[in-house]
Amino acid sequence: MDLDYLQMLMGEEEVVVEEEGEGYRNIWVVAERVGDELAPVTLEMLNQAQQLASTLGAYVMAVLVGGDETLAQELIYHGADKVFLFDDPALKDYALEPYIKALGDLFAEKMPEIVLCGATDVGGELAPRLARRLDAVALTNCTGLTLDASQRTLVCTMPVYDGEYSEVVAFSPEVHPQIVTVQPGVFGLPYRDEYRSAEVETVAVDLDGAQPRVKVLNVVAEAEREPVPLPKARIIVSAGRGMGDAEGFALVEQLAAALSGEVAGSRGAVDEGWIDEEKQVGMGGATVRPDLYIACGISGAIQHYFGIQDAKFVVAINRDENAPIFKVADVGIVADAKEVIPAIIEALEA
Amino acid sequence: MRIIVPIRQILDPRGFTVSRRHERIFVNREEYIINPNDKNALEVALRIKDTGGAEVIAVAVGKPRVDDALREAMALGADAAYLLTDEALAQTDAAGAAKALAKAIEKIGDFDLIITGQETLDTGDAQLGPWLAEYFGIAQVTNVREATVSDGALRAKRDWGTGYAEVEAAPPVLLTVAPGANKPRYPHGGRIMAAYREWEVTTWGAEALGLDAADLEPLTEGRGRTFPPERTLGERLTGSPQDVAADLVQQLRLQHVIK
Ligand SMILES: Cc1cc2nc3c(=O)[nH]c(=O)nc-3n(C[C@H](O)[C@H](O)[C@H](O)COP(=O)(O)OP(=O)(O)OC[C@H]3O[C@@H](n4cnc5c(N)ncnc54)[C@H](O)[C@@H]3O)c2cc1C
Repeated sequence: MDLDYLQMLMGEEEVVVEEEGEGYRNIWVVAERVGDELAPVTLEMLNQAQQLASTLGAYVMAVLVGGDETLAQELIYHGADKVFLFDDPALKDYALEPYIKALGDLFAEKMPEIVLCGATDVGGELAPRLARRLDAVALTNCTGLTLDASQRTLVCTMPVYDGEYSEVVAFSPEVHPQIVTVQPGVFGLPYRDEYRSAEVETVAVDLDGAQPRVKVLNVVAEAEREPVPLPKARIIVSAGRGMGDAEGFALVEQLAAALSGEVAGSRGAVDEGWIDEEKQVGMGGATVRPDLYIACGISGAIQHYFGIQDAKFVVAINRDENAPIFKVADVGIVADAKEVIPAIIEALEA
Repeated sequence: MRIIVPIRQILDPRGFTVSRRHERIFVNREEYIINPNDKNALEVALRIKDTGGAEVIAVAVGKPRVDDALREAMALGADAAYLLTDEALAQTDAAGAAKALAKAIEKIGDFDLIITGQETLDTGDAQLGPWLAEYFGIAQVTNVREATVSDGALRAKRDWGTGYAEVEAAPPVLLTVAPGANKPRYPHGGRIMAAYREWEVTTWGAEALGLDAADLEPLTEGRGRTFPPERTLGERLTGSPQDVAADLVQQLRLQHVIK
């Protein structure tokens, strides 16, 4: 079956972007690569950009620095109406100066109305530089984006004080482009539509005077994480006597590793000898205030609760539906922890 | 070696409580502290000073009360401090503050390093460092954990993805320091009295910085606050292990508990 016929069947046509127009226009997504793939946040931004674009009557443009045609197509499948591809081999690996030159020159010419970057290592250092270069301002680490349609301005939600609450901030109408960095994992992934087609325009940049100024001596891809002291830990997975044996306890360690969190235990787990006393949580141990506390096979005695009452979100896994821990948990799972924990690890990796 | 450390003063979170139910912040004690991440930045600067010698200069924008944060910086080890304040500067936003800091750094002159925190706790803003690097057209290294200077070269260890990278650059360089990168020191006994009683904080207004009202016009406007949903305890997930696991992970993601 040929592609045209298929497209007709699917009722899809190639998106044709009308580039004529005055002033600042369109929503631009700065694509990011991780290895040979697009970063998930890039796809999430395309999803959000599509929604904003339909309100504004704008197109979603993606710019891919150092990628290839295959990745450019992926951007289209996920919602880009046009892709600008810098395919110069010199741009394959990220370095600030050449990337900022490529993006800065392109945006100076195309005059975007809105630019979305990931709130990642790379996006976090590109966006503010672009803001200064284009005489604009950036709003960073956003977890929500809506439009003030009357002014065509973005209204951004920015968590403050470690997420205790958020400030809602809008761009002033005279700011162009409106540049934001978007936190990964906040917006959903868009539907991947292989029948979507649009133009990929290959662009070049003059890299004269844009040599990297920082020399990378050594990269360690996966660093041993240093343990965080329990009172400061953001995520804690805690074991109780209900984990049964050392093997059960090992599951708790695996879950903690999958969440990049810390392992702790109740007095029950300490008494069983699975974990050191200094990792005990409760009245006779550490007082913790993590964003997430997962209690596995812990009954929830008052002395234990004493140590976790400031936790922001508590998950309890216990076989006994009347265990007191369920009264203080945001989410409770009545089940055998040895069955549920492996399933959670799998779901996290999916 | 001259190192400039921009510092921001913020409301101390230990002095307020956030009520999700009332969607309000209740300030019990109005006290101010140095943005903790800026203290990490100052610590990186002071460690360079400890090992190879350096002149560390703290600069801050804001209301007259910010003087206190700068004196604390001097008690910690900064050699000089500049407060950029007047009516316009006290009210500007992140972009205006960045412009004021840039002009002040220009006026101080001859710097080798600028070291900032990666982000500010009270606004979530993470733009100052790279913004300044672009203004001066200099190299930048973000998310730094440790930095040293030897034989005129800067070496830094920075977070990079799930690991880290070691990098090198020739000054002038701008560094942003990762939150919690180090344990900031306590003020030095002998310096505390001098910092609060004897030493001067130089004060500059917008005019001295060559900025006018239009330069400091805010580019953003506050539209209020949002609060996380009130906690509802006691929800149960049921189903097969796979079902409850999928439900749980989805819920944790939706609530931004995990990424
Ligand atoms: C002065 C004092 C100070 C104390 N300080 C502390 C303290 O700091 N920290 C602390 O934790 N305790 C402390 N305690 C002890 C506390 O009272 C409890 O005895 C202790 O917390 C119980 O530990 P546990 O929940 O692990 O064990 P248990 O109470 O034995 O509970 C085990 C739980 O696991 C569940 N379970 C069993 N099998 C499974 C399975 N396969 N899957 C899922 N669930 C399962 C059971 O239903 C049960 O609820 C203190 C006590 C005193 C008197």
